[in-house]
Amino acid sequence: MRRKFFIAAGTALALTALTACGGGDDDNASSGGGTTTLTYLTFETPSLTSTFWNGSIAAAEKDVPGVKIKRITAPSTDRDGYAKQLQASGQFPDLLQSISPNNFAPAGLLKPFDDQWVDANFLLPKGNAVGGKVYIPPTNSQVIPLVFYNKKLFAKAGAEVPKTWAEFMTACARLKASGTTPLELGGADPFAASMPLVGLISADVLGKNPAWITQRIAGTTHFADPDVQASVQKYRDLIKAGYFQKNALSVKYDDSIKDFTKGNTAMYPMGSWLLGSLPKENVDDFGTFPWPTDDGSVVIPFSVGGSMAVSAKAPDVTKAIAFAKAWSLNPDNLKLLIETDGAFPMIKGKGLSDYGVTVSKAFTDSYALVTNKNTKVDAIGWVTNDNALPPGLNDEFYSMAQALFTKDDVAGALKSLDEKFDAAAKS
Amino acid sequence: MALDHRPARPPGTPDNSGGPGTAGSSRRGPAWLSATGRRRPNGLAVIAGVAALLYAGFILLPLGLSLASSLTDENPLKAESSFVGLDNYQHLFRDGRLLHSLAFTFALAAVVTLAANAVGLGLAVLLDRSSLPYRLMRTLAFLPQVLSGVIVGFIWRSVLTQNGLANALLMDAGIIREPIGWLGTPFMASLSIAIVMAWVLSGFTTVVYLAALQAVPRDLYEAATVDGAGAARRFRSITFPLLAPATTINVTICLITVLKLYDVITVVTGGGPASSTESTALYIVKVAFTQNQFGYSSAVAVLLLVVSTGVSLLVTSLLRRREVSL
Repeated sequence: MRRKFFIAAGTALALTALTACGGGDDDNASSGGGTTTLTYLTFETPSLTSTFWNGSIAAAEKDVPGVKIKRITAPSTDRDGYAKQLQASGQFPDLLQSISPNNFAPAGLLKPFDDQWVDANFLLPKGNAVGGKVYIPPTNSQVIPLVFYNKKLFAKAGAEVPKTWAEFMTACARLKASGTTPLELGGADPFAASMPLVGLISADVLGKNPAWITQRIAGTTHFADPDVQASVQKYRDLIKAGYFQKNALSVKYDDSIKDFTKGNTAMYPMGSWLLGSLPKENVDDFGTFPWPTDDGSVVIPFSVGGSMAVSAKAPDVTKAIAFAKAWSLNPDNLKLLIETDGAFPMIKGKGLSDYGVTVSKAFTDSYALVTNKNTKVDAIGWVTNDNALPPGLNDEFYSMAQALFTKDDVAGALKSLDEKFDAAAKS
Repeated sequence: MALDHRPARPPGTPDNSGGPGTAGSSRRGPAWLSATGRRRPNGLAVIAGVAALLYAGFILLPLGLSLASSLTDENPLKAESSFVGLDNYQHLFRDGRLLHSLAFTFALAAVVTLAANAVGLGLAVLLDRSSLPYRLMRTLAFLPQVLSGVIVGFIWRSVLTQNGLANALLMDAGIIREPIGWLGTPFMASLSIAIVMAWVLSGFTTVVYLAALQAVPRDLYEAATVDGAGAARRFRSITFPLLAPATTINVTICLITVLKLYDVITVVTGGGPASSTESTALYIVKVAFTQNQFGYSSAVAVLLLVVSTGVSLLVTSLLRRREVSL
């Protein structure tokens, strides 16, 4: 009798559990009322906070009835790595913010946006295309890196805003002589450690040969080539001269922003998103200039993107694309991105004034670098178009930037990077 | 008449075959037989069966899948993969970053195991009392062990960063004039990880040593004291030898914990600077999810399993031999 009771109770429990599972599934599929739940992979930074994401999602949800977003936050800024982990465990998100499409598109995991919509809405419709298809709406752009500088510290040291590399070194020397650390580096975060190298190679090498990355992929150029070596040697020169702050590789990115904005260091090579982190109370103390070149020509390391990719396996791809389009074109989202993340808008027919934004002089001066005619090149390691580095190579690039702090072997480091590039390209 | 195939009993040994009227059998037969002689369900067998199923599902199956994956060029983003034989294993020995990660992992395991055992033993001797303050301090000593690795990582990262608590305290105390780059060079970052892990594992080693200490017969100490042995001699001749089984447990657990270390390193240094603190477990994840080489990362995982098992068996065997000789 007791055995029968336990069997009956067990069956009831199992049925209850199954019913609960069924209910959960219903939540993720199109319900009777036409609501579809989509998962959305985001990430958080000092500029792009939880408040920003929740607000921007709520705004786009209003524009696309029948879509409910379940936000997932990547544990670090490495969205690609986390998306791959989710894919491996059968949980690939339906919407993925600011990933590198070249990692996922060849596997058929992403749905491209229709060319007509992209052409109609964006200034550089193919700016981040992979194989001619656009997987992330090119809503805005970033300059990676800009050199941010503290005007008061420059004035105190009698340093001038440099255009050439020689002037830059002179400014560093004057700043150091005045007791100011010339350069900030958030070296404990590998991406931040690599910023000077991104600036150097983009400006020196890609500035003279914009097709360099394409040629490297084809194997006709190499990191060990003399022009790249000469460029990377400049980074070693900055390290050897003691122009970065002491223990730079111990400083986390968040702390590096505080260091720089508090006036502890005079310059900070960082992506233009840092514009959103400049303190409002003394924002006019800060300015920006493009990474200096040997001859003073203006070269802008540039990357276009700013929005989300759509999974080809989303439960309702049409609605997912509708949400992505609404989010991408929502002027309130762009306003927030401009003000908090230093994003330069790339929407056709709209200028800064159309967004009702309040931006600093540093922002408008930097935005002019985007709108003016000058040499724009792919920011190496940052672009997500056909010139993106092969999977895993960004890590090696970052690692090299950190290793060069303690190893005076530029040629060896670049030769090793070539080998890793070739291995990564094959896999 | 059926033939009796039971082997002949050596003279003088009891017959435990369960036959009627023989020594070692009860009237009802063995516990797993019912009164009618039929096998009946046994609670222990059910528990063992569930455990075996769980073990097969969560240990053996993934292990088999990893082995299978290590023989392919599996990529997490591609639906299909090809059999590549032992190619991945041949590549292992040409992979400089892997060899570096193995060297770092084993060096870290050695240092942390020594430090955690030394600290654990010291704390255990100090806390081997039964009054309330000592019991509270034992709980505190065990605290690092119960914290999640990620939480431990975040706590220590905030302590060790350039503007962190460690530098602030040392500077406020006037011990240093400039911040120390705890995470800024390969040596300092490695040292920092070793300190963090020794802190974590010392909680475990303390508790194990304490349990062993409390099992040491007090009359041995009394006899030694009567014979004129001092505290150091008593420790060397009584305490330390009798702690041998605890040492075996502690050394083995410390080694295994560090050999598969991932979470703390990921949070504290991310494997940097310049991959200098990249453990093999962290490298496995990077190869799989950054370089998209699932097959190769499985081969590295199999290698780590084999090497870790070998080291653990070797160390356990040596320590067991030491237990016997003591």
